[in-house]
Amino acid sequence: MSKFWKRLGIAAAVAGTAMSLAACGSSSAQKDVKITILQGKVESNKQFKQIAKQYEKTHPHVKIEVTSIGGGTDYDPVLKTRISSGNAPTIFSLAGPADLKQFKNYAADLSDTKAAKNAEKGTTSAVSEGGKTYGLPFNVEGYGYVYNKTVFKKAGIDPKSLTTVAKLQAAVEKIDSEKDQLGIKGVFAMPGKETWTMSDHLLNLYLAPEYDNNAMKLYNSKTLNFSRNQEMKQMLDLQKKYSVQPVMQLDYSAQVNQDFSQGKVAMIQQGDWIYPTVESVDKKFAQNDVGMIPIPVKGEEGKLPVGTSLYWAVNKRKSTAEQKAAKDFLDWLYTSKAGKKDVVNKLHFVPAYKGYSNMKMPDALTQVVYDYSKQGKTTGWVFPAYTGTSWDPDVAQPNLQKYLSGKQAWDKTVTNMKTGWAKQQSSK
Amino acid sequence: MKNRSLSFWLFLTPTLVALALVVFIPMLEGLLYSFTDWDGLSFTKMVGFKNYTALLTDKTFINAFWFTLAFVIVTVILLNVIGLGLALLVTQKFKGSNLLRTIFFMPNMIGGLILGFIWQFIFTQGFTALGTALHWSWLNGWLTNAKTGFWGLVIVTVWQMSGYIMIIYIAYLQNIPQEVIEAAEIDGASAWQRFTKITFPMIAPAFTVCMFLTLSNGFKIYDQNLSLTNGGPYQSTQMLAMNIVNTAYNSGNFAAAEAKAMIFFIIVAAISLIQVFYNRKREVDL
Repeated sequence: MSKFWKRLGIAAAVAGTAMSLAACGSSSAQKDVKITILQGKVESNKQFKQIAKQYEKTHPHVKIEVTSIGGGTDYDPVLKTRISSGNAPTIFSLAGPADLKQFKNYAADLSDTKAAKNAEKGTTSAVSEGGKTYGLPFNVEGYGYVYNKTVFKKAGIDPKSLTTVAKLQAAVEKIDSEKDQLGIKGVFAMPGKETWTMSDHLLNLYLAPEYDNNAMKLYNSKTLNFSRNQEMKQMLDLQKKYSVQPVMQLDYSAQVNQDFSQGKVAMIQQGDWIYPTVESVDKKFAQNDVGMIPIPVKGEEGKLPVGTSLYWAVNKRKSTAEQKAAKDFLDWLYTSKAGKKDVVNKLHFVPAYKGYSNMKMPDALTQVVYDYSKQGKTTGWVFPAYTGTSWDPDVAQPNLQKYLSGKQAWDKTVTNMKTGWAKQQSSK
Repeated sequence: MKNRSLSFWLFLTPTLVALALVVFIPMLEGLLYSFTDWDGLSFTKMVGFKNYTALLTDKTFINAFWFTLAFVIVTVILLNVIGLGLALLVTQKFKGSNLLRTIFFMPNMIGGLILGFIWQFIFTQGFTALGTALHWSWLNGWLTNAKTGFWGLVIVTVWQMSGYIMIIYIAYLQNIPQEVIEAAEIDGASAWQRFTKITFPMIAPAFTVCMFLTLSNGFKIYDQNLSLTNGGPYQSTQMLAMNIVNTAYNSGNFAAAEAKAMIFFIIVAAISLIQVFYNRKREVDL
């Protein structure tokens, strides 16, 4: 027996040496730098890879490896695994303050980068702390009611005139009464399964004014006031009543791919990110028939909620050379001429940076977001304050779904959300 | 212990090493983490049994437990009854019995995830279309509440797994010596008597195996749950495995998830082992 273990030990030792030798071989000092990117915007995976390849051509000493992991909930565990297995990426993405808190030991200060200096005011506040900027925004995004131009035209309604809840309601009722002539199944398609459209986007509209459009203020708040909850209820009820039924069966693809893109509804509550999906279903429809208006909120009329869902971070535990190469790449992407072009035309990003004023957005929805933000007619996103916390999936979403299914009264829903928030914040 | 020589250990070691690396060590690590405030990256302190006591007030975990238990009871009964029924059917000598075996087994060849998505389509689109055409309102709105979500999961699981259970029963049914049954027939036993007095006791070992498989499968099911309902609506169809995964990955509460996983492991192991112990006693030898 002892002989066996000895042999096993020797074998392990040999294997170990071989591996460490191999590791030496790959990192032995050459001028070449390899940076690895792990990012959370999976729909842009192909485009990021193309851009990286292009960058490698003009910067022969840099090698870039891009990996994309989809969806907010899948990303963090993968990043954690990569870090704890010693295979941490050079550049990774952060979804907001909750992510920054978790990965702060790995995020380098980026305030001295050209991109950070060019970032539009307020776009980095959710990932800044003590005067240091730890994240660079991917882009800005906006959401509202994405509508079908033809349906509104046939119904004789100008969507731009729907600036108050009362006007919206009247228009919805009119469209609903002419459903058959207009050839639609419902006014809205409300995806009861995709709770984030309610817990993140809709809820944000009624929380943002209370927290000065500042996610950090909500993130640090011990309590949740939610004093405008009745307005949210009104909007939820409106969407539900005039939606394609049953709402609890509808998911994102039913809402966007089936109902909206095939012209079966008048409008849906979504954002500019759906454009590529609509385009993939019906290119002509996407080019000619799609527009977006803000969701009317009292006191915030004519303003579109615009914000950032992901930020780039650079791993400060990597070598200085690698960190520098990473920062150079991000600077190139957002501030160089070639990079800017890719950001707008390849990635379809509405830029969160200065210096894009002479560029045209590639599609109707990003154009809307760009126009509103250029004119300063925007409200903020406060929901990144809770998307990375357990309050979102464990409290807000199930409670809103319970209300939508008719299993719980609105008052109870609001109370549960408030107490859940207080509980989470007190244990933080 | 005498025959446990060097060669015994030599042959056993690769398996033991592999098991230790991928099962025992991670489990011990998990046990350790369940007493800390681990967030998937690092932990700062030991918290004692806090993660375990918190489970007692965790409503979603308790709901998931009762939901899973109900699911296990229903699927174990249905799977074994249907599996045995199908096995009895295809072991009768008639034309096409081999074809039927293949057909019944086929759903098992499809992965649980894909199956879930296929059935989601059937429940939401197919059922609705059928319901509208026939004016059967109970066919509408499937998977939109806890009740239809539960039966949806049961239907998919039974549809997928009964073919597999059937195969196991077939193997044991074919092992019953023909002369015993013939002897009983000559003695004047009816078909029902032959089944209850001979066939059923003879396939007791199959019963043990199938009970074990269906029990542990029922508890551990995740992929069908994920693709069919994703725990929704309002987490009412969330099963234990999904609750654990979501606690870790959606809520980022890895330590609490480890505690849940430990409790989960103890429950499944205890129930499965007790079941095996009792069913073994019932088995008969010729």
